[in-house]
Amino acid sequence: MNTTGNMSGARLWSAYLGEMRFELIKSLRTPAFAVPTLFFPIMFYVLFGIFLGSMRGNSAMSQYTFATYGVFGAMGPGLFGFGVSLAIEREQGLLTLKQALPQPPGAYLLARAAMAMLFVAIISILLTLMAVFVGNVPLTFMQAVQLFAIDVFGALPFCAIGMFLGALVSGQASPAIVNLIFLPMAFLSGLWLPLQFMPQFLQDSAAIWPAYHLGQMALSTVGAPSVGSFSEHVAVLAAVTLGFFLLAMRRMHGRGFRLLGARPKRSLAIIAVACVFILLFALSGVFGGNPVRPVDASAVTDPSAAAAGTPALEAPAGVAAPAMAVISDFDAGSANAAFGIGWRAAGDDMRGGNSTATQRLVDGGANGSKGALEVSGVIGGAIQYPFAGTMFFPQGPPMQGLMDISGKKTLSLRVRGDGQRYMLMVISGLMVDAIPMMYDFETGPEWREVKLELAGFANADFKRVKAIGVGTMGPAGPFRLQIDDVRLE
Amino acid sequence: MTHTTLASLAGAHKRYGKITALDGFDLAVKRGELLALLGPNGAGKSTAISMLLGLQVPDKGSAELFGHAPQEIDGRRRIGVMMQEVALPGVMHPRELLAQVASYYPTPYAVDAVLARLSLVNLADRPYGKLSGGQKRQVQFAMAICGRPELLFLDEPTVGLDVQAREALWRVVRELLHEGCSIVLTTHYLEEAEALADRVAVMARGRLLVSGSVAEIRAHVSRKLISCVTRLEADVVRGWPEVVQIDMERERMQITTRNAEALLKRLFREDPGLTDIEVKRAGLAEAFTELTSESAKEAA
Repeated sequence: MNTTGNMSGARLWSAYLGEMRFELIKSLRTPAFAVPTLFFPIMFYVLFGIFLGSMRGNSAMSQYTFATYGVFGAMGPGLFGFGVSLAIEREQGLLTLKQALPQPPGAYLLARAAMAMLFVAIISILLTLMAVFVGNVPLTFMQAVQLFAIDVFGALPFCAIGMFLGALVSGQASPAIVNLIFLPMAFLSGLWLPLQFMPQFLQDSAAIWPAYHLGQMALSTVGAPSVGSFSEHVAVLAAVTLGFFLLAMRRMHGRGFRLLGARPKRSLAIIAVACVFILLFALSGVFGGNPVRPVDASAVTDPSAAAAGTPALEAPAGVAAPAMAVISDFDAGSANAAFGIGWRAAGDDMRGGNSTATQRLVDGGANGSKGALEVSGVIGGAIQYPFAGTMFFPQGPPMQGLMDISGKKTLSLRVRGDGQRYMLMVISGLMVDAIPMMYDFETGPEWREVKLELAGFANADFKRVKAIGVGTMGPAGPFRLQIDDVRLE
Repeated sequence: MTHTTLASLAGAHKRYGKITALDGFDLAVKRGELLALLGPNGAGKSTAISMLLGLQVPDKGSAELFGHAPQEIDGRRRIGVMMQEVALPGVMHPRELLAQVASYYPTPYAVDAVLARLSLVNLADRPYGKLSGGQKRQVQFAMAICGRPELLFLDEPTVGLDVQAREALWRVVRELLHEGCSIVLTTHYLEEAEALADRVAVMARGRLLVSGSVAEIRAHVSRKLISCVTRLEADVVRGWPEVVQIDMERERMQITTRNAEALLKRLFREDPGLTDIEVKRAGLAEAFTELTSESAKEAA
């Protein structure tokens, strides 16, 4: 019989490790936890990133979604592991028993956090393998390592948020409440759909979600456009982690739980100091700026600064346009293009309007060619500047990838239509809501050529072209237009 | 070291809003004894145990475990705990649950030895959630003893157990006592306390009413139990001043009395044909009922 309560360091260490192993086995054996957290991010990535992306003939899509689904995967284990399990085990007396037993101080929290991080590590590795070997995402080893670290450490703020929820809500309500925070946050942070496709107020408010900050770091790492510097994002995430952790500890303490043992102040002080250090490091710029594509919106909005060659103009240009002249001739029976994501019918519903457009391939193209693309629809009156037509994204995810077409001289296409006026537009530059370059043309029953001399449009940023569109901004009513033989020469 | 106090409450007070759970409660658990803590629901048993385990802090007074505050982990490394209401993770196996709890202690028993001792070897690798209620209680008991505790807290350990399992658990409890382990038992089964306890502490409304050996507690009570077969009507006998209480068990009449001699004389006088007479000293159950109901009357 032992006569003192002294534990050797080795036994204590193995108690902590054993707790982690126990937690991991328990989580893996609980399908309600393991399936959504482990397989959903991977399944979504395969479906929406790789499968859908390859259908559209575009690997940049699987690159964007590779980064964001990794972040999606980093959210689940912490949110559910703490949010649901803590609430249930708190209510069912397990936490009370553990507190009466000599469970080492903080072992419960450490084991759960470690389990969440390990789950995220598994998700991150699987996603990386998928992206590289199936999605053909170009990725250097260093990028993969950096992304892995972002995902794994990115689990911590969600552990803290989950812990706060688990301290607050009942076990029965917790799965619903965690889902109610998890899924909308993933969506509103641009993890499923690029933010540019969302209404302006959602784009503006995205920065309130921690997942947005983690997402921007991940996007920047894989070389996709992103906003903000690493330092800012790390600072926000560290503050979120510390804040929710302290709130959760306070609530648990109020319920009579001492998760950090009899003397929590020392542990709390260590955690707080660590977070403050990360915050200070972040604010002093140790984590560095955004190394890939910094977006300095203030510089871009100031034309004089831009003209003076300040950072906006020094921002990296898009990928150089391929040498081939023909973008699309629509003769192969698809709306694909020689590069980028093919043509997509676009209405203005994203901006709150009710204009609609559909497109289909038709026989009988310009100059006796085989086929052409027909766009038709209805311009509605719901918003001030309606639009309907078809859009071509030359590089990468819609409105995210940039292409440098400054080496080209002309943009041309052949058109015929219902006699109304249509426009050709080029959306370019780093600003999200910049006014696109627009060029009006007439249509008639016969094919005619529309040809732009790019040199004549000084206000467009041809080094950074996001999209080329053909369509109409009104008047309200039905329209019908055919295009063919789109060239960039 | 034979009579050292291992755990104690001194003048412990606890209020939850308007309800007084403990009202100056004193308790000392001595080395090597099995102390049964009895009391009606709401007497404050759970609060008292929670304080000894460090789950609650007294508003006034003090709680100690091996000379430390119970919140300190050093004292708790010397105790084992079986709680009444706890749901363990159903996907884990008893062997894993035991190994985890054993890892919290400096010198635990081997997990296999504990499994064998409680005849749990066949259940050791099944999911805990698939076990019956009684089997779960046995696993929880195994978790309580696996750390080689010097002091064991058992809260209603035999609820839901069948007779064999209960006997087996009692056997292990007696073995542990023999090995020098001290035990604090709370139970509703007074026969359990009668069978196992060296000392009984009866509490009501947050106070200690009486504490002593089972025999001493019985002696506190002057009541005796007379059982007989008689032609007298229960309603008539109930009116006699010697009678405290009457229960009918088919034709047998069970009479609780404070004056057995006078009552027997009168019974024979009124019914010379009285047969099958038994006279018993009241058991712990009757003593318990009397003690707590008197205390309730005083309070009223």
